[in-house]
Amino acid sequence: MRRLTSRQRTAAIVLAVLALCFLTLDVGGGSLRASHNGVRGTLGALYRGTDAMLGPVRRFVEGLPTAGTNKGTIGRLEHENAQLRGKLAADRAARTDQRQLTALQAAATSEGYRVLPARVIALGSADGFDWTATLNVGTDRGVRAGQSVTDGYGLVGRVLHADRSSSVVLLAADPGSGVGARDLRNGEVGLATGHGASGFTFVPLNPKAALRAGDKLVTGPSSATSFVPGLSIGTLSSVHASTDGTTTATVRPTTSPSSLDLVGVIVLDNAATTDAAGGSR
Amino acid sequence: MTRARAAAGLAAILTALLLQGTVIGPWAGPVPVSLPAVLVAAVALVDGPGSGMAFGFVAGLLADLGSTHPAGVLALCWLGVGLACGLLADRHSVRRDAAAAAIVCALASLAGSVLLAVVHADGASVGSGLVHVVPAGIADALLALLLVPLARRFLHTDQLRAPRASTDELLLAGRRG
Repeated sequence: MRRLTSRQRTAAIVLAVLALCFLTLDVGGGSLRASHNGVRGTLGALYRGTDAMLGPVRRFVEGLPTAGTNKGTIGRLEHENAQLRGKLAADRAARTDQRQLTALQAAATSEGYRVLPARVIALGSADGFDWTATLNVGTDRGVRAGQSVTDGYGLVGRVLHADRSSSVVLLAADPGSGVGARDLRNGEVGLATGHGASGFTFVPLNPKAALRAGDKLVTGPSSATSFVPGLSIGTLSSVHASTDGTTTATVRPTTSPSSLDLVGVIVLDNAATTDAAGGSR
Repeated sequence: MTRARAAAGLAAILTALLLQGTVIGPWAGPVPVSLPAVLVAAVALVDGPGSGMAFGFVAGLLADLGSTHPAGVLALCWLGVGLACGLLADRHSVRRDAAAAAIVCALASLAGSVLLAVVHADGASVGSGLVHVVPAGIADALLALLLVPLARRFLHTDQLRAPRASTDELLLAGRRG
């Protein structure tokens, strides 16, 4: 083991005292702040440069021990992600269903009907009609031909026929479907004929009826229609007077026939159903 | 001190500090492994306590000023590293020198933790310093096994060799005749 020379001993003591002075100065009053900032700034720039060069290598080496397990982890996370996305979509659908069921319930409560909730399981043409929907409820739940179908906001159509567990609904938007309708503003009664997704054409029985764009149409009096009265059909978007004196109006539908999901079959007692079904188509 | 030695010393300190900040520090996590401290130890083991103290003090002060804790802590600790390693140098066995460097550096890091805890800086505590002293010593030993031979090789080159009084006198005497 070496021994310190006297000069080295003195140097050691001086340097130690100097270090303690720095320590006291910095702890006491922060008088070395400018020096700290200067050196930190210079070293910081150098650190960033060095890290840009060595960082990728370091991260690569750091990742090596878990390289095999990462694949599994990624797969597991992807699976979890897919599950969560599925749950999210289901939640969204459930919220929509809940909104629609609330609307159906509100409609049923306000009009005094019993509404049987049903899911649309198919849309398309059937029985010679272009616009029909198949529902997942049938006679075992009380569905009968002629019953009106609503989505809680407006008229959807009426049941064409039903078997045990499903039923086919003729949508009001079908070109072959005519709905007895009443203008809520002036009480004029007429026929609303379906035009698919573009809505209805309303022809009032009174050719001189004063129709106005913005008038609301609802299903007409029960004796003149196969539908439950009072269901919203749509709003008049434009009125046309032809040369022969007749007036027609284009109707924007309340319910879009192409986006049906949850609907309600309005279940009436036998007499009412027969009465309703006995009206015009 | 020659200009070449000063420049080499500064370059070595800066390189060690940068490698510590970008590679060793992130890898070591909470274990206070210190490449600059081991470098100071390696220089002191080769060049003796005089160079070791000077090198340790300058490197420590630079590291202090570049950090968030009060200046003087590392300067004092690495001054001690330079002094102790300069005195403990074996100069024959790299392993023994590396072991000495590791022990001194680990103790210096513990002393640093104590000092920082005393001045309430950097959230340091004596407990964490004690917990990490052994792993830090092992990692320092590995670094020293690498750095001591390197320091020996570099500091024994013609440009970086320490000017010694006895050699100077012999040279002067030779020239005089």
